[in-house]
Amino acid sequence: MQDLLSALMDAAAERCDYADARIIHSREESISTRNGRVDELERHEAHGAGIRVRYGGGWGFVATRQLTRAGLEAALARALEVAEAQPGAAPTPLTAEPPASGRYDSPYARDPFEVPTEEKLETLLAADTAMRGEAGVAVTSAHFQAWSEERLFASTEGALCEQRTVDCGGGIAAVAVSDGETQVRSYPASFRGDVARAGYEHFAALDLLRHAPRVAEEAVALLTAPACPAERTTLILDGQQLALQVHESIGHATELDRVLGLEASYAGTSFLSTEDVGMRRYGSPLMQVSADATVAGGLGTFGWDDEGVAARRVEIVRDGILTGFLSSRESAAEVGLERSGGCMRSSGFDRQPVVRMTNVNLEPGDAGSLDDLVAATERGILMETNRSWSIDSRRLHFQFATEIAWEIVGGERRRMLRNPSYAGITPELWAGLDAVCSRPEWRLWGVVNCGKGEPGQLMRVSHGTAPARFRDVAVGVA
Amino acid sequence: MAESALELAERALAAVRSGDGAQATVTTERSLLLRFARSRPTQATGIEDLTVEITVVRDGHVAGATTNLTDGDGLAACARAAERAAAAAAADGPDGAPEPGPYPGLPAPAAPRAHAGHDGETAFLDPARGGAALEAAFAAAAAHGTEAHGVWTAAETEVAIASTTGLAVSDLLTDAFMTVTAIAPGGRSGYAAATAVDSKAIDGHGLAERAALKAALGGPDAEPAHLAPGGYPVVLEPLAVGELLGWLGHLTLNGLAVVEDRSAFAGRLGRRVAAPRINLSDSPRYPGTLPRAFDLEGAPKAPVPLIQDGVARAVVHDRRSAALAGAGAESTGHALAPGGAPEGPGPTNLVLVGGGAADEAELCQPIERGVYVTRLWYTNAVRPKETLLTGVTRDGTFLIEDGEVTRPLADLRFTDAVLGLLERAQELSARPVLTGEGEFYGRRFATGVVCPAIRVGEMRFTG
Repeated sequence: MQDLLSALMDAAAERCDYADARIIHSREESISTRNGRVDELERHEAHGAGIRVRYGGGWGFVATRQLTRAGLEAALARALEVAEAQPGAAPTPLTAEPPASGRYDSPYARDPFEVPTEEKLETLLAADTAMRGEAGVAVTSAHFQAWSEERLFASTEGALCEQRTVDCGGGIAAVAVSDGETQVRSYPASFRGDVARAGYEHFAALDLLRHAPRVAEEAVALLTAPACPAERTTLILDGQQLALQVHESIGHATELDRVLGLEASYAGTSFLSTEDVGMRRYGSPLMQVSADATVAGGLGTFGWDDEGVAARRVEIVRDGILTGFLSSRESAAEVGLERSGGCMRSSGFDRQPVVRMTNVNLEPGDAGSLDDLVAATERGILMETNRSWSIDSRRLHFQFATEIAWEIVGGERRRMLRNPSYAGITPELWAGLDAVCSRPEWRLWGVVNCGKGEPGQLMRVSHGTAPARFRDVAVGVA
Repeated sequence: MAESALELAERALAAVRSGDGAQATVTTERSLLLRFARSRPTQATGIEDLTVEITVVRDGHVAGATTNLTDGDGLAACARAAERAAAAAAADGPDGAPEPGPYPGLPAPAAPRAHAGHDGETAFLDPARGGAALEAAFAAAAAHGTEAHGVWTAAETEVAIASTTGLAVSDLLTDAFMTVTAIAPGGRSGYAAATAVDSKAIDGHGLAERAALKAALGGPDAEPAHLAPGGYPVVLEPLAVGELLGWLGHLTLNGLAVVEDRSAFAGRLGRRVAAPRINLSDSPRYPGTLPRAFDLEGAPKAPVPLIQDGVARAVVHDRRSAALAGAGAESTGHALAPGGAPEGPGPTNLVLVGGGAADEAELCQPIERGVYVTRLWYTNAVRPKETLLTGVTRDGTFLIEDGEVTRPLADLRFTDAVLGLLERAQELSARPVLTGEGEFYGRRFATGVVCPAIRVGEMRFTG
């Protein structure tokens, strides 16, 4: 395949200004149980090539599953035809990049695709069954997910590199229903659990069975818990909800294509502008945020991005001040950066790369453990595990709901609260950040359904967070 | 001669060696999608691919595998993976012992009805046609001092299904879609979109014109007003209505959600759930929709009256949800995946019957002070059983004063229940139109909602 791709790039170099191509072989396994039975057991495999060309100012991209010389050449010809058919536009530069070369393999201890299905089912069914002992639980589910991706990338600039990544994870959920009230509780995260760039060992370490009784108990207890009050108060977010807050209000807001208006038609724009770097206060001085494609275990960790840019760490916010963006070679060049941020990613061979998050992390602080943080809070609410999310197209006005909350009084966790929610404006929320838990509480949380692009792409990204405290937040808004 | 999708499905089915039954589903996609921003092309994607999905049934359990490798080895590997998965599913029950699963078996062959969902010229996927639509949109946007952002796309897709019950059907479709977001120098935006079977029906100039007029409403110096949170009368354009109805279909009109008591229709069939003027159905061959002949189990798609004169009448089913519902329930042809999707069935051709108002302007007339909404964005379910959603307005939110749209508003967050909004619906425009979001995650599967604009007595805005 390497020779085939190299020959294709040689042919492309004579016919366009720039071209790159990736051959991607992806595999996915998804297993779910529901109410003690196997509900979903699917394996997916796709193999194909995506060829991107630049002709004049236009781009063309064509995906094909015909991995023969003739098939690839036909796809190249179609990509050129598509690029030429678009209205003319002045070419924009790309940042310089040394040609990528070599191989990267994401580390894992046990290949999830080699683990017998029966072993996975045993774990899932045991956890599912353990949740069903709780009266009032209507639906139980347990989930396993794994992905494997092999990518071969080449460009007309001489890049030729290979990488393989393996992702794995899972989770459990219990739904309790009573008299028109429906409550859900999940572990370790909602929406099918938590996934890491790791092997089966990550799934096994989740220890779903041990957490199953608590999850079921809390789902039922939520049915009769008092509702989250509507007020402005101090808010502590657990790591998973904070990861989604980072994702929506920092990650997407700092994608440079959005900032430049290139995603206005679908994903939206950003409240940030290119002049804000070094000038705009994003939040409190406790905010230290980076986009780091090198951190172990992150779903945004790789050898090279989908333009052959080597994985790197880019500082986004330092001491609460905006310092950088997530970028590609084209968007970085447009704002005068010397190098791309290495954030071009595609979800498969049939989608072209767009600017995506890698691992956008909020660095840990010095507030100790979550218990320490609660103990240091006179009055407030602790919210845990995302239930729903919504934010406007500029990433300013958001509203989140979580599965569960507890009121905090006098430094103690008191009553459980149902239907918790909070809302706010991005810079105002982050300005209220006054404590972040310490390194031992910090971990990566996987988000496997980040949607962007047309046609749509679902990307897997991670966010490193530790629980954190925000002052003066509107809660009980829904 | 090239192998047809149905021939490929039959070849994939022949690769299956075990199980109580099997289905092979082939979905093909040939598509072209052109994106643009700041009145220049940005990305263009052409796709030629297919997915073969082999589904094996064993002791009432269903499992499957997919591939795009169509040589003998690729199909055999896919079949073995599906067989192993089905065997593993059948081997484990709630108490660790084998127990029959809830799947009632693959459907018997039934002849699907023909439809007019394919256009030969659209299937040609001529990039020049797309390029011309972009040129026209750029010109119209510029004429109003705005820049155009959006997408033009067309596709030919085919679904072919062969099963061990003798089912052998295929459905060839085309769809086309264009959106234009016009953005004025001050940042105000307007939006227009169109979806059709025939790409000739997509008018790039007209869409850009409509979008630009919204971006420019009130003049170039008009600053959007800010509205305090609260309940206001609203006029929702069809795009906003379609978004709400799509969520209702997913959360409420889903037979599995009713069985599991997660739906607002659980225990409420036969009772009033909306204003008497609300008539909602799933009508796969309604004029102007994106028709489909059968669902992903191969069951012919049947029209289903969902809400009649404001009364909840039915929900849609796939074979599994119908079996779980009992009481004689049958599949209505709404399976979203072979063997039924884990989340249950869903309507793909929702149609809301129009009302007596000539257009949106007439809907505005009785409103003294209210909100005009072009589209909704980033909607999400807050409490699914209540149909409570939150989201924001976008690309054309205006103040209605004394019966007329007067000036732009800053975007608003709403938090309200879909059924509550339908209960408070006061009037609908006469002509329903096809709306779609055209997101196309995964293999392209175009759907749309045919609906009119609505005036609602009160919508709850929370920020």
